[in-house]
Amino acid sequence: MAVAWIDQLIHEAKKTVDEVEVFYVNGISVSAELKQKKVNQATTSKDCGLGIRTIHRGKIGSSATNNPEQWRICLDAAIASGKLATPQEWGGLPAPQSLSQTPLSFDASLEVEPAGVIDLIEKMLTGAAEHPAEVTSGAASLSTATVTLANSQGVRYTDQHTGVSISLEAIHNQSTGYEFDHSSFMEKVDPESVGEKATFFATESDNGKEIATGEHDILLSPLAYAELLGNVFVPALSGRNVHAGRSRLGQSLGGPVIDSQITMYDDPLLEKANGSVRWDAEGTPARRVDFIRDGILETFAYDLKTAYRFGKKSTGNAIRGGFGGLPAIGHHNFVVDGKRSRIADDRVVYIHNVVGAHTANPTSGEFSVELSNAFWMEDGQFETPLRSAMLSGNVFDMHKSISGLSKESRAIGSLVLPSIRINKQRIIGK
Amino acid sequence: MQGVRYYDLRHVTGQVTHIDIDNSVVESAGSSFFNKAVIRVLYKTGWGVLQIDNYTPCHGRKFDALIRSACRLAGITQGNVVLGDAPRGILGVPPMKEDPRSVDIEEKSALLSGIEQAAVHPSVVNTRANYIEKIENVQFTDSSGNEYAYEMCRSGFNVLAVASGNGNIQMGYEREHSIHGFNLRHQQALGKKAAGIAVALLEAKAAKGGKMRAVLDPELAGVFAHEAVGHASEGDLVQEGSSVLKGKTGLKIGNENLTIIDDPGIHEFGFDPIDAEGVAVRRTEIIKKGIINAYLHNRETLSSVGHGIAGHARAMPGEPPLVRMSNTFIEEGDATDHEIFEECRNGIFLKGSRGGQVDPGRGIFQFNAEYGYLIEDGECTDMVKDVSLSGEILTTLHGIVLCGDKRIMSPGYCGKGGQSVPVSDGAPHILLDDAVVGGSGVD
Repeated sequence: MAVAWIDQLIHEAKKTVDEVEVFYVNGISVSAELKQKKVNQATTSKDCGLGIRTIHRGKIGSSATNNPEQWRICLDAAIASGKLATPQEWGGLPAPQSLSQTPLSFDASLEVEPAGVIDLIEKMLTGAAEHPAEVTSGAASLSTATVTLANSQGVRYTDQHTGVSISLEAIHNQSTGYEFDHSSFMEKVDPESVGEKATFFATESDNGKEIATGEHDILLSPLAYAELLGNVFVPALSGRNVHAGRSRLGQSLGGPVIDSQITMYDDPLLEKANGSVRWDAEGTPARRVDFIRDGILETFAYDLKTAYRFGKKSTGNAIRGGFGGLPAIGHHNFVVDGKRSRIADDRVVYIHNVVGAHTANPTSGEFSVELSNAFWMEDGQFETPLRSAMLSGNVFDMHKSISGLSKESRAIGSLVLPSIRINKQRIIGK
Repeated sequence: MQGVRYYDLRHVTGQVTHIDIDNSVVESAGSSFFNKAVIRVLYKTGWGVLQIDNYTPCHGRKFDALIRSACRLAGITQGNVVLGDAPRGILGVPPMKEDPRSVDIEEKSALLSGIEQAAVHPSVVNTRANYIEKIENVQFTDSSGNEYAYEMCRSGFNVLAVASGNGNIQMGYEREHSIHGFNLRHQQALGKKAAGIAVALLEAKAAKGGKMRAVLDPELAGVFAHEAVGHASEGDLVQEGSSVLKGKTGLKIGNENLTIIDDPGIHEFGFDPIDAEGVAVRRTEIIKKGIINAYLHNRETLSSVGHGIAGHARAMPGEPPLVRMSNTFIEEGDATDHEIFEECRNGIFLKGSRGGQVDPGRGIFQFNAEYGYLIEDGECTDMVKDVSLSGEILTTLHGIVLCGDKRIMSPGYCGKGGQSVPVSDGAPHILLDDAVVGGSGVD
């Protein structure tokens, strides 16, 4: 299924380098943006990108372009780049495997048309009308892309992805609300609910009260939890960060690192999940990887480069941030699981979102963030909204005594998370 | 075509060169190429936008076909977009002292390696340095007959040191980015500084959260201006009702000594010779002597909101322009640094920035310092780590009681709407009363 020039490129490259890998993406998206309740901009985006990686005597070179017609210039740049790299142990690119060609994150019924985008917007606005808060902005987009991975070992894989993204922002006096959803499948997004939640949180958070500085029991929604986990904890599981000395979990393999009721794994084959793939960004067959089982750290994530260098095996965790990025260590569907329970029965500070999680210290895990849409919650009900307060702590230490995981999980990007309850966390009031 | 009220085309081609050295291994180094265009058509009720990768300039029928497809898209809009008038004209791009393109990548790599090696220290377990150089060739045309072209080169580096000891792990991070040309020479001191901070932080205490007096260094005070005032003054946020500053021009929100500016025309890292919709760039006084004076605008938000000037539209290659900050700063006051620490007496001195975030509608912001020191009797004493500050836009600025007499700008990148653009922030040292400091330390 690969494009003809890809075979030509590989043939050409093999004259100069031991191995070559081609990553080619071609996609289209349509989106519309709301200014208050009216669409004021509609956009079509045609994306195209070629990334080339060469390996010669353990030296890895790379280049990228969004003009595939100029693949020769790009190939020359990749070969030149390889000359600068420090040589390393290298055991070869993956050979082809007989993997199913049925895409996992592709909705054949999804049409990338303006009409579908308008339909999503209208449904969000219908949901938003449930509460008095005013819509300030919003967006909906539909996309499809074809990804081709080919290498000089004979791999010729093609995958297709679709995407639906929606978001809405609302304000009520001086109180804001935001909600979004993203999926590969139209049936998995609920635009009415997204609209309803955005205006709900804006409306209900108005007239927030102060909270006293001190230790409080908190409940982090999947959204708030994703911010802290994604910015700090997940990078600490990357083999590259571990071997570079940048991970706080680096010395703890085989030992307990978090509460024994928690398991964390990557499941690339999860049905109808956002990040599902059959092969990773280097063509290694994707499989479930259990990083932490019942609180015990079992493995780190590896791509080929890091694995070969440190005598490990790739865990199929190579990902690419777009065509121009080199493969790097990441995850496909990162799941936090464990014993589920009712976690909102006892009085707790519910935290819907946080502001500033990216400023956390990724090495030590220390953070202090501002709360967003926080409430005193009683018997699972939103009671008093909290106007403004900070939450301070340490993402790693926080995971050592989790009081419970909610029954429901939610996909936030490629993280699949429950709400979590943690007792005695430090909140700084105003 | 009937119904077309305006169109513009912004086509950017260029090249990115990067080098990544991690624990003395050259992980990757080389160049990539890009070619991206965005065509915006204002048709009847709103914008139809085409984002095109690998764009080939075209005229006549081919170009008309693009305009028609943008019009079809715009057909689904229901807005009432009006464009304000704005002056045209392009500034010269300042000449570079040394063009990075004249230095071969082997030499760049060797110089970067020198900076990375300068961070080596017995307690440092990881050193990492990155070089990035981006050359953009921008071509702009619009339906009013304006045509502009310019080339910009931005280059610079980051150096990271990670120190470890007694189960504790800390980092020091330094960066330098510039529009003035190649800047990798004679920079080993920054590698050494990153290491020194990482090692010192191993012994630092956790900051104790609460309300206190704080002295902010120029870098952090610049981020404060960016987060607390800059974003909320962006005309698109004001227009849609998601800024707490909406309808507040003339309101006094700070002391007489507080003036906050955004100026895309000065030769700092956020410099643009012309904005992304072809409008001349000029300085906007957002806060003037403590009073909300003007918003940042593009042509659309200027006509809708007023109070200010257009010329603040910015875009990544191939992306539609958004109202953005460029070089944002607090103007100098007349206090010496000594006076600021004396006046503070007891409090906390916060240095460096790990970034920040704002909810402009709620008027709440948060930002994080790299490290700090306790101030006791006007003197810096113990080092503290992981300190952040939060506050409310409409009240916190009153707390800026003194501004120093020397301003320093720091380069960085700012994200909005999925686009990241180069900016600089700056300020003199400032003294902030009643700062809400977050930290996990307790008595």
